[in-house]
Amino acid sequence: MFLEVKNVVKSFQQEQVVKDLSFGLEAHKTLSILGKSGCGKTTMLKILGGLVKPDSGHILLNGNLIDEQSPSDRHIVYLYQEDLLFPHLTIFENIAFGLRLKKMPREEVNAKVENMVHSLELEGQETKMPHQLSGGQRQRVSFGRAIITNPSLLLLDEPFGSLDTGTRQRMQELFKKLAAEFRITSLFVTHDLKEAILMGDEIAYMRSGQLTVYPDKEGFIRDPATGVQDEIAFWGELLPGSSNPL
Amino acid sequence: MKNRRLHIGLLLFVLIGVLPFVSAFVYAVLYSVGLAGVVNDGFTLRFWAAVWNSGEFLRSFGYSAGIAGISVVVSVSAAMWLTLQFKRELQHRWLSFVIYLPLAIPGVVAAFFMVQLFAKSGLFSRFAYHLGWIAEAREFPDLINDPYALGIMLAFITIVTPFFVLLFLNVYQNERVAELTELAESLGANKKQVLWRVTLPILLRKTWTLIGLYFIFLLGSYEVPLILGQESPQMLSVLIIREIKQYDLSKISEGYVVAVIYTIFVSLAAVLLFYRKKSTTDAG
Repeated sequence: MFLEVKNVVKSFQQEQVVKDLSFGLEAHKTLSILGKSGCGKTTMLKILGGLVKPDSGHILLNGNLIDEQSPSDRHIVYLYQEDLLFPHLTIFENIAFGLRLKKMPREEVNAKVENMVHSLELEGQETKMPHQLSGGQRQRVSFGRAIITNPSLLLLDEPFGSLDTGTRQRMQELFKKLAAEFRITSLFVTHDLKEAILMGDEIAYMRSGQLTVYPDKEGFIRDPATGVQDEIAFWGELLPGSSNPL
Repeated sequence: MKNRRLHIGLLLFVLIGVLPFVSAFVYAVLYSVGLAGVVNDGFTLRFWAAVWNSGEFLRSFGYSAGIAGISVVVSVSAAMWLTLQFKRELQHRWLSFVIYLPLAIPGVVAAFFMVQLFAKSGLFSRFAYHLGWIAEAREFPDLINDPYALGIMLAFITIVTPFFVLLFLNVYQNERVAELTELAESLGANKKQVLWRVTLPILLRKTWTLIGLYFIFLLGSYEVPLILGQESPQMLSVLIIREIKQYDLSKISEGYVVAVIYTIFVSLAAVLLFYRKKSTTDAG
């Protein structure tokens, strides 16, 4: 397993937010994680990213224990729900941020950023400031800025939650394309059932701080706790002629 | 209706905000070139030449700019450090009250406090004496009316630092610097890189106009340098008032010359500050 999480526990005061979390993920795969608000998804991602310290448990990345590593040494990028761009930097500099930290030669930075701008379909926007872009464009920049650093693991916390349906669909397609192109390993947290099924190679459901990883998508769909059955019943009632596929 | 209200608002602004200032400035210009004033009898540039040749204005300007510059730099640095170091603690009610308190103290009161605390006969001098650090009051270092303007700068820093703390705290929250810090760390930035590449640029970019305006405000400050400053050189406002209130009526015009030069400088600086702010806002 590329990522191994073993018995991670985290409490805030009296409340245990993450309970005995254990799961694994193969390299270059995406694990979709569904769950209601407040069930501990964001805390789990922040623990993996090193932004929140767990009370107990271990995290291994590529066989190495990373419990004591600082966020900057983990090569794990945590992407916020909102398109959080650096407001004082242009789009080009936002994307180049991680490369500049590594003191990479200027020509190499320029070439990589231009390539990423092309992949993100953001040509002509490089000199603009973040507030001059639309929500979808900002989210693309946010992706590009993370992916260009070639992170070991990408943590996406409801990245398309604030986008309209059309933009959301285009962003899902773009993420699938980038994930394949840059061979990304990621955890994709979402509230949307369809998005979870579309984006993940594997699917997990988080409930009151406990994570259930399903062996396959069918198992996820069949579990009444995930809400997929309710969704199918809802659409079945709206369209009485159609039959329940399961 | 909306247009009419806008016109009335504009008229009131011109009447209250612009007209008195412009009238006073025109009067000062006329006085400085001999076209107004009791003893003046016609156009002349001799007052301008006298001010320029005496060198006192330039000395006073340099002295004022130095004091204002050091005070602003120290205040901004201290406020930045306090904000970043104690941002969580500063949210507590009693601590935020402690920060607000100095903002309510007028400059003249702050200056008197400085005298009571730092004069040779002041509180700290007495402490130093009782602790055996000094044998008599005159051994206490000059901090009031001193040649390095330490008293003035101390008063300015005491007055201005709390304002910048509140300003930086506000920008820190509004610009979501805490989240951007986490993001930068996640992208591989260490603490130093976060400070220099994220925190400081964001906080200073949002506040540099106000920092510039505070420099102008301190440059023209009157009460504090009047009470805590030395005889010569004096800060600009003190020099201007001294010249204008002279018994020698011919010197009054020279006071107006200094006032005109100072007004032009400050107006240009303010225009430049806002022009640059607008252009950076337009560009992002």
